[in-house]
Amino acid sequence: MAPKSKKAPATIADKTLVVDNGAYTTKAGIVVASGEPTYDNCHVFQNCIARSTRDRRTYIASELDSCKDFGGLAFRRPVEKGFIVNWESQKAIWEHELIGSAKGGPRCDPRETNLLLTEKPNCPRELQKNCDEIVFELFEFAAYYRCVGPTMNAHHPSPHSSSTVPQECVLVVDTSYSDTTILPVYSGRLIQSAVRRLTVGGKLLTNYLKELCSLRHYNMMEETYLLNEIKEAVSLVALSEQQFASDLERTWKGRLGDRKPLDPSIVVDYKLPDYEQLIHGYARPHDPEKVRKGRAAVNHPREDILTLGNERFAVPELLFNPGDIGIQEVGLPKAIMESLNALPPMLKAGMLTNIVVVGGNALIPGFMGRLESELRALVPSQYVLGISRAEDPIKHTWLGAACLASQPQLLKEVLVTKAEYDELGSTLVARRFAGER
Amino acid sequence: MPLVQVLPNTASTAAPGYTYVVDTGFDPSKAAFNPKDRKRVSHRPGGRRGENELSARQQGVIARRIADLNRDNDPKQVIAIPSNAKSIPAKTQNTRRILAYQRQIKHWLDEEDAMLQQAAQAPTNRPAAGHTLRRQSTFSRGTTMPPTPAEMTPVPTAAPEPTSSSVRLTADSKTEQLLSVDDILPPPLNQAELEALLAAPPLSYAASHAAAPTPDGPPQRRFCDNCGYWGKIKCLKCGARVCGLECKNAHEATRCLKWA
Repeated sequence: MAPKSKKAPATIADKTLVVDNGAYTTKAGIVVASGEPTYDNCHVFQNCIARSTRDRRTYIASELDSCKDFGGLAFRRPVEKGFIVNWESQKAIWEHELIGSAKGGPRCDPRETNLLLTEKPNCPRELQKNCDEIVFELFEFAAYYRCVGPTMNAHHPSPHSSSTVPQECVLVVDTSYSDTTILPVYSGRLIQSAVRRLTVGGKLLTNYLKELCSLRHYNMMEETYLLNEIKEAVSLVALSEQQFASDLERTWKGRLGDRKPLDPSIVVDYKLPDYEQLIHGYARPHDPEKVRKGRAAVNHPREDILTLGNERFAVPELLFNPGDIGIQEVGLPKAIMESLNALPPMLKAGMLTNIVVVGGNALIPGFMGRLESELRALVPSQYVLGISRAEDPIKHTWLGAACLASQPQLLKEVLVTKAEYDELGSTLVARRFAGER
Repeated sequence: MPLVQVLPNTASTAAPGYTYVVDTGFDPSKAAFNPKDRKRVSHRPGGRRGENELSARQQGVIARRIADLNRDNDPKQVIAIPSNAKSIPAKTQNTRRILAYQRQIKHWLDEEDAMLQQAAQAPTNRPAAGHTLRRQSTFSRGTTMPPTPAEMTPVPTAAPEPTSSSVRLTADSKTEQLLSVDDILPPPLNQAELEALLAAPPLSYAASHAAAPTPDGPPQRRFCDNCGYWGKIKCLKCGARVCGLECKNAHEATRCLKWA
């Protein structure tokens, strides 16, 4: 009878590939044991395969940087709602970016590398199983750990202590491309029963802006890339509901016989790219004279202008009032309270002092101010409220995971090696990742 | 009044004295006439729709729109993956099967829902009530689990009552009491409770959604269908809101759902 293989091998590979595989961008980088990872170690690329009908080219992930014409670009994204659904395209992207020779990519050899992969919470089990099988049976990584991404934010070195243990209480608000999730993390472990999810994410905001602009100005239903750029350039969150109402007045055109001038301090003109002289558009304050001249265009090139008024703040407003388009959900501050109310009072108080906001939507100007003031109104007055945006909300989760990966003694406990997988099979491996020993 | 009950009868369905009619909710013992007329809709059991309630068609339109806004990939576009000579071949049958999947996320979520339903029905063999699926584990070993912590944890009190002790109110103890933090600190953590909380299995995708707003909250804000300003006027044909005459004309020309 063959001797049983050892449960944990004496050594694990020195290099760990940390991948935060998002629906919009993937954050990846190699971390060596006992190193000190920084944001610069992270390679960010769009997690998609894009096809242009104009130059008939297919762009994989970071090849998009060399694209000169974003008009009518169609995307194929392997990740839907935060979960890897289509492995055929995800494999092509990983091969190109992580293993292949993409510029700035980690270029790793899976057989000599550990993989630390993040996922969204509440992933269907079948998808988790598929993921484990692909990682071990197709890519054949040396060892592997799959975890809920936002919990990794607890592994950042705390400013108050120098120890390597994860922070005790962190409430992570992850407002990302697919949706917005709220995750209470205690000592690096996720409190699963208190996880809450909101439908509104960056994608919904982009699609909503696309719908509004197509209705009011030009038909832009095929221009997802452009609308995403516009959203990132112009959107802002009103500081309060009263501010929202007054901004709405300032951007109103007035009645038929009683026109009101648009307020140039809030209404902007977005110069649309023509993909010949201008590849990326830009915003400037509204000037009706310039708009009229640009449209008339007699002896100079025609200027295409998109005038954006209440679209600027009505779109991100959905994060705080999903009911505005009929989504039957509470806004973000109330959802945070709903999640906290599922916890014992002591834990709730602890979580409130350390709320960390990550994800791309946190970059919208005014987001943090609005969230803090609305949350303060909901939190009982005897509780301290500490809320902060991560230094780089997009890469923060990656860096947290990289901090974990740089500590060999912590990493060794959670990794599952290829030999163990071959022995245990995917079901038992999935159980180990779920925290059952 | 004696109770008259029709006992189930398997012998024959064509028994004399019976006729199958459409049940309109009309009970002759309570109302004198059958309110078939649309104008008398308020006489029906549900009553008239409230001012802010939506018709089934309007709800359908909203649901479709949200699904549209939430869509990841355009189903009409098929983007082939460029061939790559250095591509890793799929060796095992499992990986070949996984790579060949063309399912979308909604298929996986539906499948998960169906499996949960089945798991909830299997052990006791009774129909699962709709609400039991909310906040339920994804793991089928739910029988050994403690009750979900959401139900177990007490609702935190807004202001914990001050510790009542018979202290003499000397100047010293007065300041002590003022400075003490005991009464603003919530009760300490119960270790067993915490362990149960941490060990709880993940919720299913559907169960993790945030709750719907409470009916006593602020009413839904209405915006002009055309320009995004406050929607002060309701379109008589479809119920959408517009801000004024100009937007009403634009709305009727393009977006009115009367004929949608």
